[in-house]
Amino acid sequence: MDRRKNILLIILFLLILLAACRPVQSQIPTVDIPKVHIRLPMGYIPSVQYAPFYVAHSRGYFEQAGIDLEFDYQLETDGVALVGADDLQFALVSGEQVLLARNQGLPVVYVFAWWQDYPVAVASFTDQDILEPADLAGKKIGLPGLFGANYVGLRALLDFAGLSELDVQLDSIGFTQVDALIAGLDDSVAIYANNEPIQLKSQGYSVDVIRVADYVDLASNGLLTNEITIKENPELVERMVGAILKGLADTMADPDAAFEICKKYIEVWDQENEALYKDILLATMEYWKSDQPGISQPQTWENMQEVLLGMGWLAEPLDLDQAYTNRFVPGN
Amino acid sequence: MNENHTVKDQPISRVQSRSRWYRIFLVPISLVTALVLWDVFVKIGDFPPYIFPSPARVWDRLLVSVGDGSLLRNTLYTLVEVLVGLILGVTVATALGYLLAKSLSIERILSPYIIASQAVPIVAVAPLLIRWFGSGSFSKILICSLIVFFPVLVNTVVGLRSVPNELRDLMKSLRATRSQIFRYLEIPAALPIFLGGLRIGATLAVIGAIVGEFVGADRGLGFLINQSRGLYDTAMVFVAIMTLVAMALSLYFSVVLLEKYTLSWNQPQDQ
Repeated sequence: MDRRKNILLIILFLLILLAACRPVQSQIPTVDIPKVHIRLPMGYIPSVQYAPFYVAHSRGYFEQAGIDLEFDYQLETDGVALVGADDLQFALVSGEQVLLARNQGLPVVYVFAWWQDYPVAVASFTDQDILEPADLAGKKIGLPGLFGANYVGLRALLDFAGLSELDVQLDSIGFTQVDALIAGLDDSVAIYANNEPIQLKSQGYSVDVIRVADYVDLASNGLLTNEITIKENPELVERMVGAILKGLADTMADPDAAFEICKKYIEVWDQENEALYKDILLATMEYWKSDQPGISQPQTWENMQEVLLGMGWLAEPLDLDQAYTNRFVPGN
Repeated sequence: MNENHTVKDQPISRVQSRSRWYRIFLVPISLVTALVLWDVFVKIGDFPPYIFPSPARVWDRLLVSVGDGSLLRNTLYTLVEVLVGLILGVTVATALGYLLAKSLSIERILSPYIIASQAVPIVAVAPLLIRWFGSGSFSKILICSLIVFFPVLVNTVVGLRSVPNELRDLMKSLRATRSQIFRYLEIPAALPIFLGGLRIGATLAVIGAIVGEFVGADRGLGFLINQSRGLYDTAMVFVAIMTLVAMALSLYFSVVLLEKYTLSWNQPQDQ
């Protein structure tokens, strides 16, 4: 009897051992999820700034969520229009684009706050002594044009300082801000705080940076979808958000590994600038830090609407509850 | 006799009259047809206005932009860039074209560079020009000149080389001076081909200005397109594009009129 008991115990132990040896991936319910091809407009060129997406893709988080993800580095506005027309389900966009699009009737909804702070800033060489928004009065400020996040961020800074466009000289120079500053064509330039100042510092320049985020909290970069997708396929949105969150968490936990993964996704990778790319990734990660990753703060949307109303780009306030939602972020 | 003559003439005048009416109404009819087709296309496709606006929506947007002055202000800005760029490009191209037509050695030295310069897309050069010359009008004028330069240059060279040698010899035998040969033989003979180049250049100048304004500008129709696109105001993008088309057509037909005026001796007989 004891012998039979021992044999049964051994068989039971072996079965438990066998079950424990099953691959981890098979525990994730991928079998039942039909795979969906998603083309994701990124709004910018391949960059280490997309590390969470590269990590999630490389580690199979999108695949496990039933998403066959394709990165599409097209213009932000085109991506928003395609999502609005339901030709695409998702796009990565800056906060102001959501309100501008909804103002024109595009049924788009922001579902995941990836960046917690608005990345736009004004940079100038230290000898200019431009240290706070009020110091911009009378200065020549280079920016890509009177559109997009750079312009919105700059207007927010000017508003904060009680300045108008007439108090400064705006210089539309395309995306040549770094060169314009070095060449002395402008006193300061509107840039992304996580990018151009790092480039300038790596070239030995000493720059002062006025970050919009230090003065106004504005809705920043995140994931956009549309009302049809939310209504007809909310699980897809949940799965997409879930995969991005995993990629974000992994990147924040191990930036070095994320950086290595980025190399596989960025075709034009200059070995000589690797240290610069690493610095840009680390600087960008500061904008992703949050106790509640993915959650939109209502005040940031209120502030963004206020700025756009002041610019005349919104004729009247929008229903902000329609513009963003936190319901797809786990725990909400 | 008189009666016969009148009877024979009647069908001809009827045909001429029909042809005249046909010509008068052809353009408006084609325009209306295009508008109807556009409207039907939008309705059948059920396109939202931010993807493809209907003609009525574009018309409404046109009225608003005319009313607030934004369309006129930006159109004038672009038009000045186009005209100054066109004049500059044509002047330089004509002068250089004359030199190339006259001197084979200068042509051999400069041709590779001129042809190579055409292989560089203007879209790639525009950001550099804006970086070097600033974001004001001058960089856009320069882009217009560059884009106009090549067709005018080539047509100037071809036009001047098309002058028959016999006529040149005849002028010389009549003891015509170099200046007289230029004024009374070379200019009239080269003008038809030169004006052909100018037609192309005039429309290209509009493209040049827009390329410059796309890269960096805070005024002009290119800026208006860029900003409207950023605001998802697709109807305004259409208004700006159509204004550009109207501008290019006006310039083209101005050259056609110039051709009619200066080449009246060379016009084919209208049947």
